[in-house]
Amino acid sequence: MSCLHDHSCEEHDCSTDWSLYKHIDLSKVSALNEAVSGSVKSVFKDWEQRLNSSEGYLESNEDDPELIVFIPFTSDVKLKSISIVGGADGTSPAKMRAFINREGIDFSDAQNMQAVQEWDLAENLQGVLEYQTRYSRFQSVGNITLHFPVNFGGDASTTQIHYIGLKGEATQLKRDVVATIVYEITPNPSDHKTRAETGGSLSHVE
Amino acid sequence: MVLEATMICIDNSEWMRNGDYSPTRFDAQKDAVSLICGAKTQANPENTVGVLTMAGKGVRVLVTPTSDLGKILACAHGVEVGGEMNLAAGIQVAQLALKHRQNKKQQQRIIVFVGSPVKYDKKVLELIGRKLKKNSVALDIVNFGEEDEEKTEKLEALLAAVNNNDSSHIVHVPPGPSALSDVLISTPIFTGDGEGASGYVAAAAAAAGGGFEFGVDPNLDPELALALRVSMEEERARQEAAAKKAAEEAGKGEKGEPSTSQDAIMTENVDPGTSEPEKKTHDLTDDENALLQQALAMSMDDSSSTVAVRDTDMSDASADDHDLQLALQLSVQDGKGDQSNPNDANNIFADQSYMSSVLAQLPGVDPNDPAIKDLLASMQNQSEKKEEDSESKEEEKK
Repeated sequence: MSCLHDHSCEEHDCSTDWSLYKHIDLSKVSALNEAVSGSVKSVFKDWEQRLNSSEGYLESNEDDPELIVFIPFTSDVKLKSISIVGGADGTSPAKMRAFINREGIDFSDAQNMQAVQEWDLAENLQGVLEYQTRYSRFQSVGNITLHFPVNFGGDASTTQIHYIGLKGEATQLKRDVVATIVYEITPNPSDHKTRAETGGSLSHVE
Repeated sequence: MVLEATMICIDNSEWMRNGDYSPTRFDAQKDAVSLICGAKTQANPENTVGVLTMAGKGVRVLVTPTSDLGKILACAHGVEVGGEMNLAAGIQVAQLALKHRQNKKQQQRIIVFVGSPVKYDKKVLELIGRKLKKNSVALDIVNFGEEDEEKTEKLEALLAAVNNNDSSHIVHVPPGPSALSDVLISTPIFTGDGEGASGYVAAAAAAAGGGFEFGVDPNLDPELALALRVSMEEERARQEAAAKKAAEEAGKGEKGEPSTSQDAIMTENVDPGTSEPEKKTHDLTDDENALLQQALAMSMDDSSSTVAVRDTDMSDASADDHDLQLALQLSVQDGKGDQSNPNDANNIFADQSYMSSVLAQLPGVDPNDPAIKDLLASMQNQSEKKEEDSESKEEEKK
């Protein structure tokens, strides 16, 4: 499938650019106000498949165009740009607001909080438009929440999203990883001798 | 094993003083609440439950979602009945309490007990329902107490607005002899969505002893169940033997009846007894043979005490029956002198044709099975030996 960007695509492979979807923790992806529970997972796929909605797409409930998508990553990422493919007939989202590293955001939170960045979207049925981020703010993203408050209106009573593409770099760092912790109800000081107590750092050779 | 945070909304309005659910509507609610809390925390140890009241001076959160069962039960104690229930505010406060739960990974659920009439419009309730659905909060409604066409309609509309993929339920509990908690146990409110808390439910039901003969689960303790069943059959057999004897003494015309009634009762006994532990009786293994023999031997040995026991049993059961009274007198006389009644029982067991017919009715037991034939033969020998012993004892006494 040829890339419709206005540059020649032989230099790079668009598919590899948009490969940040591989670093998404798909089991923990969730959405609020989705009509079919679990359908949000179908929007994260390879660039080449972005127009292929045979496995379902994300649609909001009747008469309610708002959507919130929560995307956690398996390691911290640096997010460069985002691409959204919406539905036809005005069901594409018109605005997008992003929140970083916050869990459990629901609609009242999203409406009251200041987003890290907001974009006005255009209808992008071929998936060629990308929306760049303020890179300095998106340097270590453990999870991102996207809020789509309105769609393009008209006859559309729902919002449809067929593809969400993320471009950037994955670092190997992980957030909030807890190492093995040993809980002691009655700690015994003799188990935790410090260096000073054991007679300093000089070694003996007998 | 769904990870869930639950808020339970209790109705403590004036309507809860009514006694149509024993002891009062309010106490029935409290029982149901404690059962629900137990079920939820057992289903998943990280589940949390919180409680709030909707009436009284206003909506008040008694305890925020916690997994500490003791705290929840303690808080539910001091609640007083009074005021009017505010359903909409109650649900909204519950939603807020769930929003601020500590573990954001838990699914949100509200369980609301609606006992008094609902004063809100259908539209308002539908709006609330849609908001809950949007924020993926599930809602369970327990409709009890006041019965009202409008109330049911409104609650059904609320459920329809909230329901997402059958995660929300409504239960209508009419007033009646069974307690509110018993009715709720079998509903999806307790059983989650088919899994999870059903283990707790089964345990609660078994603790009540319901559903199993003798109150013992044949799966947990097959030997005990078998022993109980055998002794029950024996006891019945002996009682019938005494009745039969009385009938013979009283009038020969009645001879036919007791034996047929005896057969009928034996078959009755056999059928329910074997319907449950049927798989266990498929093979009468050597162990079971030995146990059976031991049980029979022990019961036939101790004749004097069994006579006394039987006397009390029979006097209880046969206060009215003239024939059985006769039997009592006769058996007491007989028991003093001789061991005729146990011998009657012996005879019954020794009667091989009768025993084989009984055994044939037991599913999975083939009377022609050599093991069973051996058993019967040995029992016969034993009974013969017993008669010899008793005769020799009599001779010694004389």
